[in-house]
Amino acid sequence: MTQPTKTLLERRYSMLGLLLIAPTVLVFCAVIVYPLVSAVYLSLFKIFTPTLEGSWVGLDNYRTLLAKGEFWTSLRNNLIWTVGTLSLQILFGVGMALVLHQNIWFRSLARSLILFPYFISTVVAVLVWKWLFNDLYGILNHLMMSAGLIAWPIDYLGSMPNAMISVILVGAWKYFPFVVIAVLARLQTIPEQLYEAARIDGAGPIARFFDVTLPQLRDVLVVIIMLRAIWDFKEFDLIFLLTGGGPVTSTQTLPLLVYKEAFALNQMGMASAYAVIMMLIMLVFMIVYIRRTRQEGS
Amino acid sequence: MADVVFANVQKRFGSFTAVEGLDLDIRQGEFICLLGPSGCGKTTTLRMLAGLEFPSGGEIRIGERVVNDVAPGERDIAMVFQSYALYPHMSVGQNIAYPLKKRRVPKSERAEMVAKTAEMLQLTPLLHRKPKELSGGQQQRVALGRALVRDPKVFLLDEPLSNLDAKLRGHMRSELIELHQRLGRTMVYVTHDQLEAMTMADRIAVMEGGKLQQFAPPQEVYRAPANRFVAGFIGTPGMNIADGVLRADDGAWVFEAPGLSVAAGDLTAEAQAGPAAMGIRPEGLSIGAGPIKGEVQVVERTGHENIVIVRVGDGMRMTCRTAPDRIWKVGETVQMAVDAAQAHFFAEGPTGRRLNRAGATGALLHPELKEATS
Repeated sequence: MTQPTKTLLERRYSMLGLLLIAPTVLVFCAVIVYPLVSAVYLSLFKIFTPTLEGSWVGLDNYRTLLAKGEFWTSLRNNLIWTVGTLSLQILFGVGMALVLHQNIWFRSLARSLILFPYFISTVVAVLVWKWLFNDLYGILNHLMMSAGLIAWPIDYLGSMPNAMISVILVGAWKYFPFVVIAVLARLQTIPEQLYEAARIDGAGPIARFFDVTLPQLRDVLVVIIMLRAIWDFKEFDLIFLLTGGGPVTSTQTLPLLVYKEAFALNQMGMASAYAVIMMLIMLVFMIVYIRRTRQEGS
Repeated sequence: MADVVFANVQKRFGSFTAVEGLDLDIRQGEFICLLGPSGCGKTTTLRMLAGLEFPSGGEIRIGERVVNDVAPGERDIAMVFQSYALYPHMSVGQNIAYPLKKRRVPKSERAEMVAKTAEMLQLTPLLHRKPKELSGGQQQRVALGRALVRDPKVFLLDEPLSNLDAKLRGHMRSELIELHQRLGRTMVYVTHDQLEAMTMADRIAVMEGGKLQQFAPPQEVYRAPANRFVAGFIGTPGMNIADGVLRADDGAWVFEAPGLSVAAGDLTAEAQAGPAAMGIRPEGLSIGAGPIKGEVQVVERTGHENIVIVRVGDGMRMTCRTAPDRIWKVGETVQMAVDAAQAHFFAEGPTGRRLNRAGATGALLHPELKEATS
């Protein structure tokens, strides 16, 4: 067998390709591969954060954390938060996208306004929500009391399950615009003739949603759910600022636990071990996502 | 018996009038083509019949029923779209079964009807494929199958062949004709392609500017166009139309244009002395001898005939169809003659009415269709 020899031009093209991709590869190594490897490496040590000095403990950190109740509570909280907020985001997001896809007179204004929660900084959003939720001066309690719905102010963030529900709701409010925009973009590409054909075939509005709209949204929904699941799973700032993981550890998710271990308890090694476990869990999402996109590519 | 009736139907989009005062009587089992250039209102007309647009005025009837306020799914019609509009996530079988499913046809019956339709359209081996795995022609057939399976009263086809390549289009054309003969159903077919209309239709409704220009069998549309627009629109190469004046000369009409004088013979009472136009098809002109002098500009050889474009008088170009045995050279000066029996005369204006007495050009006028034309 003869090897196909490359012409000079072909070789020049591949050189150019390598040259163009090199900066990306270097940056990728510096900001992704190096931290990843060092996190795995650190997780095998017992390290005191302020000095970064420590001793080799092998897999002890992992053994400890898997035996600790706090890890499992946090994992459970993490899953409740992710599933809860993601379902609401999808529900609100798709619903709102369908509304905004209609020919309503305030459509273009509403389309821009809907992005507001997504654009606003998390710190600002959380401060606003904390005021709304406040048990003494919060407008939510005030309105509900004057409407006669409740007799006493509700403690939205300081008791369970209110705290988890509040966090999930704020998360859904903050991130559902992403779903709206992605779904709306897809809705606009569904050919009008499909709906017309369905009408002639005798399909009513509900049948048209399930037989035309939803199947067309399927692919984009899979991508949105994958991406948002990964992002929600590692959400830190919103929960940290809103409840700090409290009351006690009721809304403490894994990212908050990592932070606590690393900077409150000064256990960098242990924190790394948590982070590595988190990464493994998210790897499942990533593999599903990658397989999904590869299928579509082929 | 009329199967589909448009009675003074209007359609306005804001201040734009898409269809104006449309009257059409379509008989049961007829194959009708709505023909016209883009924006003439033909698709709007079809969509009103389908129930996808609501008429701004007038009445549409299918059978005995006024359908102005009837939902598309309840009109007993089926439609084939230009883009086929197949449901992409459903297999061929599911696509064809969908209208039955929505009408709650029992599953066993459904399977039988789908199988029968697939058989007829040679789709049986493709029933489990998805639309995107099919060629354009196969997708077209599935779209037809979805329309056929329900055996509706009226079939609506919106330029169904325009996304196919030329060869397949010719093939599908004959298949559609055959299908129509077999089913005997009323079909309303929208097209901008006059070849499709001429070859398939029982009657052609020529539309322009939202108005019906002529509604007649293909031969009549070709040989006795109702007005100047129809004359110019139908036929390839198009009819030669010369602007000039009509003059009464001793009781006989004479048409005169620069370098051209033709005895117009017997015209209708509408004829007036003054500006008018004469139309003559390329086969009504002969090169060789005659009173018209011109210079050959272009010669197109198609094999079975030659199309010769000649510059006449003050620059007017006339297209002439000649036998292939004589080759005319570009630049050659030639003499031409108009076969007066084949000349059409039109009143002034872009849709000026034809002034010949019916049959004066040897057109085959069907007596029973006269009322539809007038």
